[in-house]
Amino acid sequence: MIQVKNLKKNFTSHVKEPGLKGSIKSLFSRETRTKEALKTVNLEIQQGEIIGLIGANGAGKTTLIKILAGIVHPTSGEARVMGFVPWERSNEYRRQMALIMGQKNQVWWDLPALDSFILLKEIYQIPDAQYKYNVEFLAETLMVKDQLKTQVRKLSLGERMKIELMAALLHNPKVIFLDEPTIGLDISAQKAVRVFLRQYQKEFKPITILTSHYMEDIKELCPRIVIIKEGEFVYDGSLNNVQRMMGDEKVLSVTTQDKTFKVNVPRTDLAKKTHQIFEENEVLDLNIHDPSIEDIIESIMRSGVGPT
Amino acid sequence: MKWWKHVAALELRKILAYRSDFWVTFLGQILIQILVARAFWQMIYASQGVSTMQGYTLEMMNLNYLIIPIGTRILTGENIGFFAREVYDGTFTRYLLYPLSVFQYKTITYLTYSTFYVFQLILIYGLFRTFISSSPFMFSDVGNLILGVMLFFVAAAVYGMMAILIEMISLWADNIWSLAVMLRFFVSFFGGGFIPLTFLPAWGQDALLWTPFPYLISLPVRTIMGLSSLAEVSNGVLILLIWILFFWGVVKMMWKKGQHRYTGVGI
Repeated sequence: MIQVKNLKKNFTSHVKEPGLKGSIKSLFSRETRTKEALKTVNLEIQQGEIIGLIGANGAGKTTLIKILAGIVHPTSGEARVMGFVPWERSNEYRRQMALIMGQKNQVWWDLPALDSFILLKEIYQIPDAQYKYNVEFLAETLMVKDQLKTQVRKLSLGERMKIELMAALLHNPKVIFLDEPTIGLDISAQKAVRVFLRQYQKEFKPITILTSHYMEDIKELCPRIVIIKEGEFVYDGSLNNVQRMMGDEKVLSVTTQDKTFKVNVPRTDLAKKTHQIFEENEVLDLNIHDPSIEDIIESIMRSGVGPT
Repeated sequence: MKWWKHVAALELRKILAYRSDFWVTFLGQILIQILVARAFWQMIYASQGVSTMQGYTLEMMNLNYLIIPIGTRILTGENIGFFAREVYDGTFTRYLLYPLSVFQYKTITYLTYSTFYVFQLILIYGLFRTFISSSPFMFSDVGNLILGVMLFFVAAAVYGMMAILIEMISLWADNIWSLAVMLRFFVSFFGGGFIPLTFLPAWGQDALLWTPFPYLISLPVRTIMGLSSLAEVSNGVLILLIWILFFWGVVKMMWKKGQHRYTGVGI
């Protein structure tokens, strides 16, 4: 179980004016800026649950994941993951946790994946039988059996990501943090990773927090989502509920001579708004449909409106 | 096999991963350093018309510069920037995720490199003994060689902690490359890596006695050459142990504060 109470994280960074003058000035005096990456967030996740953490770039998703993985210390607040305080980094906790960051390599770049796996087996004290089963299971499910003996740096982006997933899951973690695991992958690789994650979740039932900018990942894997905006949670609930809560709205997709645009309209104003659009524009095409999940989430991220 | 043996094996595989780079590093670089030093000192002795300078004959000087480049590698272990570089590019994160101490991991890495360089020292030493020099100093006493190598390892503990202290500053100031280079320069200069310490004025030699520097390079090299007395060796070890205790305390204190500043941001 994960419990987060009033968790807050501020980052301080230096601000430098652009240009040579700014560079010279910064040698003598520097302005510092404090950014509230997380503004007092609260969260509870049960064992076996998988949640999608959604937000724009810089919203605080990765910061929250890094704190829960024990890499970053919070400014204030409390967090417990399976009873452990993450940033105390007890070995017992770290043996049950995995963090996969789509943009970072954790296996050794200059060596074949199997070399890294053998070391991880010892570090995590994985019994021989479990190690053998997991390598087989993960390599087969992720379809990377033939790549295990190739230097990691020579693999494609998609293959590397799959190797990262394997490395992180070899020890059957009970808590998994996935930070954009499908970033930069082609559509078939994204699909393979999603299928694998669903299968893994079903078989091992870990707590999983997934962040992704691809809505397909969220729709396929996460029955519950948390939307974060500028360090604050603006929605925490089921994915289906997001669609239901916008049930009284329709979307008008309009194509005119010069542009294409979308308008969200309350169902009761539909006729009036449609009439107005026809009057004001030379309409070539007009569609009326329910808002997509992407539209709804984008609207929540933009306005911050939503049930919490 | 225990995890630390796997870490050592993994590091060795990294050293052996690129064939041409391995041979250039293993033989090419070292041979060039040694041959340049030999030519340089031969020229100086010839131009001065002397057979001994500050207690060193030309043969001793040659041997000194045969041991120094490899001895310095044993001392410095993994390449410069081994901690700061990973903090800078974010790969340091992996050590925070593994259920073991980052310092244990780094120590094993460090020792693996140092041990690898011991074999390099023995090989180069043997090559010169066989093909180039018939100096009576060469392998005159295997006991001295073993004692000198052991001294290099004690010195490596001090140097490793000095280096990690400097590199830990990267948790506050992202780029510490210039500081790391400065440390190398100070250690080489005040440790006797550039010129034997007997070339320094007496007051300079005295001033260094309570610092760790003369015991990092000069003492082990002179021990291998059979120029250090047992009293000098035991005094050097004692001073190194005191510095180990001191630096260990400072490293612990800095890590306690510094780890709060790690953000996991990188390339």
